[in-house]
Amino acid sequence: MERNPLRRQLQIMRKSLFDQGYLDEQFVQLEELQDESNPNFVEEVVTLYYRDSARLILNIEQALERKPYNFHKLDAYMHQFKGSSSSIGAKKVKAESTLFREYCKSGNGEGCMRCFQQLKKEYTTLRKKLEAYFQVARQAGPMETACRPK
Amino acid sequence: MAPAFPSGDDRADFGTGGHRQFSFHDIVLRNRLTALVVDGVDFCRLVEQGFLRSCGLETQGVNNGDAAVELIASGAKFDLIIIDMFLPVMDGLETTRRIRALGERCKIVGVSAYIGENDREAFLAAGGDVFSEKPVSPEVLIPILRELDGQYSNI
Repeated sequence: MERNPLRRQLQIMRKSLFDQGYLDEQFVQLEELQDESNPNFVEEVVTLYYRDSARLILNIEQALERKPYNFHKLDAYMHQFKGSSSSIGAKKVKAESTLFREYCKSGNGEGCMRCFQQLKKEYTTLRKKLEAYFQVARQAGPMETACRPK
Repeated sequence: MAPAFPSGDDRADFGTGGHRQFSFHDIVLRNRLTALVVDGVDFCRLVEQGFLRSCGLETQGVNNGDAAVELIASGAKFDLIIIDMFLPVMDGLETTRRIRALGERCKIVGVSAYIGENDREAFLAAGGDVFSEKPVSPEVLIPILRELDGQYSNI
């Protein structure tokens, strides 16, 4: 049990992100790449993800404003978006991306639209939770970790 | 001696609610292995190269298929190439075909956000070796690295 109150808060926040299904195993893999030479690796990767994916979100929004829908283009954008989201372990976002593809394949424009609204909610919620998490992590400072023997 | 992997019982609960099988830190390579990562998304490439480096590989990254083919054509040698199927301009399948057409026989792993049986078959027909969902997991990658490391040790 972590005695430092900030570290304890961080543990609780982290556990909640996994227990509530926002993050998956991939996030743990990213954390394992973080070390003394790369102390903010996870936050940097997540920041790059939100920067990169904002462009894709905009592309999808614009594509959904044009009728008839170009499902091939929508699928291509979402393919890229899903790959990026999976790379940071964004579990709920990834699930909505998969559902979106199903709607694209069946040519269901309404379904795509509804799914995309839900995806944006999950995407934004995750960003807020991660921003809060990293803020506490910065306040808590670097954790001393045992070196894994190589 | 082959690298040993901890059993499921040895793994600590990392707060995800379950036991994990492999970590990228679990492998110790005896030989110098090199890898090329071909991914059009900068931070994805950063992550993929980071995982490979944590396993002990030397890595290079390019963001499109043409650059990968040019690198191989220039004589660069890699033990492993990881290719995202969704690349700008020339896709991962065509990149794989062209790399094989150059006579390159190294292990090629294809990754994709969506994987269907047709996608896997197409990739294998193009000359790829292993097709995996993106991001590639330690469960997929570590056995491949063990095999590559073992090949050098058998020489």
